[in-house]
Amino acid sequence: MANTADMATPAASPLRSALRRYGTSYLMLLPFLALFAGFLLWPLANSLFLSFTRFDGINPAEFTGLDNFRRLAGDARFRHALGNTALYVVASVGLGTLLSLGLALAFNGTSRPHRIMRTLFFLPSVTSSIALMLMWKWVLFPSDVGLANTVVGWFGGHAVAWLATPGLTVPILVLMSVWGGMGYGMVLYVAGLGSIPEEYYEAARIDGASTWQQFRRITLPLLRPVTTYVVVTGLIGAFQVFEAVYIVFRGTNNVGGVLDSGLMIVPYLYDQGFTHFRLGYASAIAWVLFVIIFVLSLVNLRLGRAMKEL
Amino acid sequence: MRRTTAVCGTVLVALLSAACATSGQSETRQADQNAPAALSFWSTGGDDETAIFQKAADLYKQSHPNVTIKVQTLTWDDAYAKLLAAASSRSGPDILSGGMTWTIQFGARGAMVDLRKHGLDALKAQAQPAQWESAVSPDGSVYGVPLDMSTFALFYRKDLLDQAKVTPPKTWEELVAAIDKLRAAGVRKPYSQDWGNLDWIGYFNYLYQAGGSFYTPDCKPALGTPQAQQALTFWADLYRKHGAPTATVEGSDALDTGTALVVAGNWIAKGIDVNKPELKGKWAMTTLPAGPAGPTTFIGGRAIGVTSFSKYAQIGADFVKFLYSDEAITAIVDEAKKRNLPFIPPRADKVVSASTFTPEQAQVFEASIRTGKAAPGCPGWDESAGDVAKQLQSAILGKADVRTALAEAAKVMERNAG
Repeated sequence: MANTADMATPAASPLRSALRRYGTSYLMLLPFLALFAGFLLWPLANSLFLSFTRFDGINPAEFTGLDNFRRLAGDARFRHALGNTALYVVASVGLGTLLSLGLALAFNGTSRPHRIMRTLFFLPSVTSSIALMLMWKWVLFPSDVGLANTVVGWFGGHAVAWLATPGLTVPILVLMSVWGGMGYGMVLYVAGLGSIPEEYYEAARIDGASTWQQFRRITLPLLRPVTTYVVVTGLIGAFQVFEAVYIVFRGTNNVGGVLDSGLMIVPYLYDQGFTHFRLGYASAIAWVLFVIIFVLSLVNLRLGRAMKEL
Repeated sequence: MRRTTAVCGTVLVALLSAACATSGQSETRQADQNAPAALSFWSTGGDDETAIFQKAADLYKQSHPNVTIKVQTLTWDDAYAKLLAAASSRSGPDILSGGMTWTIQFGARGAMVDLRKHGLDALKAQAQPAQWESAVSPDGSVYGVPLDMSTFALFYRKDLLDQAKVTPPKTWEELVAAIDKLRAAGVRKPYSQDWGNLDWIGYFNYLYQAGGSFYTPDCKPALGTPQAQQALTFWADLYRKHGAPTATVEGSDALDTGTALVVAGNWIAKGIDVNKPELKGKWAMTTLPAGPAGPTTFIGGRAIGVTSFSKYAQIGADFVKFLYSDEAITAIVDEAKKRNLPFIPPRADKVVSASTFTPEQAQVFEASIRTGKAAPGCPGWDESAGDVAKQLQSAILGKADVRTALAEAAKVMERNAG
C-alpha cells in the first residue's frame, strides 16, 4: 500500500524522505540560520544596496548607480587612508608574524618558565581591546606624566608629543598592534612546531645539517600552513583597524588624528557614515575594503599553495 | 554545486529586493496631549548632568501631573551614532540634547521639530544673541535652542607668575612677553592650550580677536583676509616660537605639572580644587588676552530639541521652554551645586546670578560671554570643520605657510557650501 502511494507521488518522495531523515537537524539549525540571516546576510545585502545610493540614515535612500564608487576614485582623503592602511598592514603583519615565530621558537617547551612566558605574551589577546587602547593612551600621555615620557625623562630626554607628531602615528599603531597580536600568533606557531616529527630533525642532524639549515629546510616549510593562516587572519584584522585610531588618536575635530596621520579605511568609513550622514558612501567604502581583503587573501592562499608545490 | 549557486543567488536577490524597500518616512501621529504621557530625554553628558535635568523634569511633573519625563545619559563618545540610529529607526527619544550644531544637522534631515511651530523662537529674547544665532539653522528653522553655555578662560599659576614677577596678560603682546619672562625665570612650561588645541575652536579666539571671522555675513568664506593671516601667524608662533605643546594636556593636569598659563574651558574651574588639592590657593583665572580688535571669545554649549518622531512634540517643546524658566534654572543649578558640576544657564541674565561657580569665576565667564561669538551657522560648516582644522595644523606644524593653509581651508568651505 505504501509502495503504491509512493509511486503515485514520485516527485514528493525524495523531499519527504529527506525531511524525514534530516528534518530534526534542520529544525535544530533554524535558530542559528535565523540569526545568521537576520544579523549577517540581511545587513550585508542592505549594505550592498546602500553602496549604490545616497542615504543619510534618516530619509529614504536614493539610487545613484556607481556615483559613490566614482567619487571614491577621486577622493584624496580615501587615497590617504588607503596609503596609511597599506603601510600599517605591511608593517604590522610582517613584524607581527616574524615576532610570533620568534617567540614560538623561544618558548615552545613544556617547562614551567616557557609556559609562564607563553601565558604572559598571550594575555593581551584575551584582554578587551578598548581597555588595551586606553592603557596605551595613558602610556603615551603627553607632557611628563605619561609612562613613555617618564622613561624618556630618566635618560635625560625631553617629553615627546607622541600623539601629536604625525611621523610617529603609524609606527605607534604598528607597535600597539604587534604587541597585542604576537601572543596569538605565537600560540599557533607553538602548535605548528609541536606537529613537526622529531625524526626529521634527527635525520638532518645525522646528515650534518646545521641549526640554521634545519630551520630553513624543515621548520619553515612545514610551518607554511600556519604562516598562511597567521598572515591571512593578520591581514584581515589589520585592514579593519579601528579602536586604536579612534580611541588613542582622535583628539581633535578629526577622526584621523593630527594631519590625518592615523587615518585608516575603517575610521574613515565610520566618520563618513556616522558623523557626516553619508551611509551610502560609507557602504561603498566597506565594499571596496571587502574586495581588497578578499583579493589579498586569495593571492596569499594561492601563493601558499604554489610554494607548497615547488 | 550549480544548485547551491542558484540557491545563493536567489537568496541574495531576495535580500537585495528586500533591502531596496528599506526606509520610508511618514508623519508621526501625535498622541492625545491630555492623556498621561511618558517622554524620554536623551541627555548627552555624564550621569551627574542627567541627574540635574531630571530635577527639572520632576519639577515639570508637579505642574503637569500627567507628564513623566525620564532623562537618560548618552556619553559624548557614542551619542552621535546612537542618535543617528534612533533617527533612522524613528524610535528614539522625544527630546535630545547634544553639541550646538547637532540639532541643526538632524533637523536638516527631517529628524527634529521646528520649534517655531510651538512658539519657542520667543526664547531668543532671553538667550545670549551669538549663541542663539549659532543654534538656528541657516534657513531660519529652530530645531534646537541652547541648553547651557561654555566658554574659555586663561587659568594661571599664581605662584609661578609671582616667581617670574609677571602679571596675568591682558593683550596678545603681554601674553608673549609673559611667556618670555616665565621662561627666563626658569619656568619650563610657560603656556599650553587645552580646549581647542590644534583645532579650529582654538583658532576661533585669535581669529575674532584679530577682527576676522570664518564667514562674511552672507556666508562666503572669509579666511583670505589680513586679519585671518595675522591671527594664524600669532597662534602658530605660540607653538613654533614660544613652545606651546602640540599634544593636548587636560587643563588641571597642565597646571598641576607646572604649566604657568593654560587656555582651557570654563568647566575645569570646578574640578581643580577637588581633583588637585595641592593646587588650592595657587591658581586663578582671567579672561583671554585681547587681540588688536578686542577680547572676543568662543561660546560653546549644548542644544536641546524635540524629535520629529515623538508622539508628544507639543509637550516636549513645552518642557524645553520650561527649562528657560526661573524655577527650572534654580532647580538645575541647585542640584548642580550639590554635585559640584559646572553649569552656565543659557539665559544671558543668569550667567552670574545662577552660576554654579564662585562669584569671581562667574564674573570672568560673564565678561567672556558678553562679547563672545559662537560657531558659524553657515551651510557646509560642519562638513568643513575637520578639514579646516587640518589646514590650521599644517601651518602650525610647518607643512604649509599661513597664506596657503588659509586658502586651502577657504576652498574646502567654498566647496561644502554647495
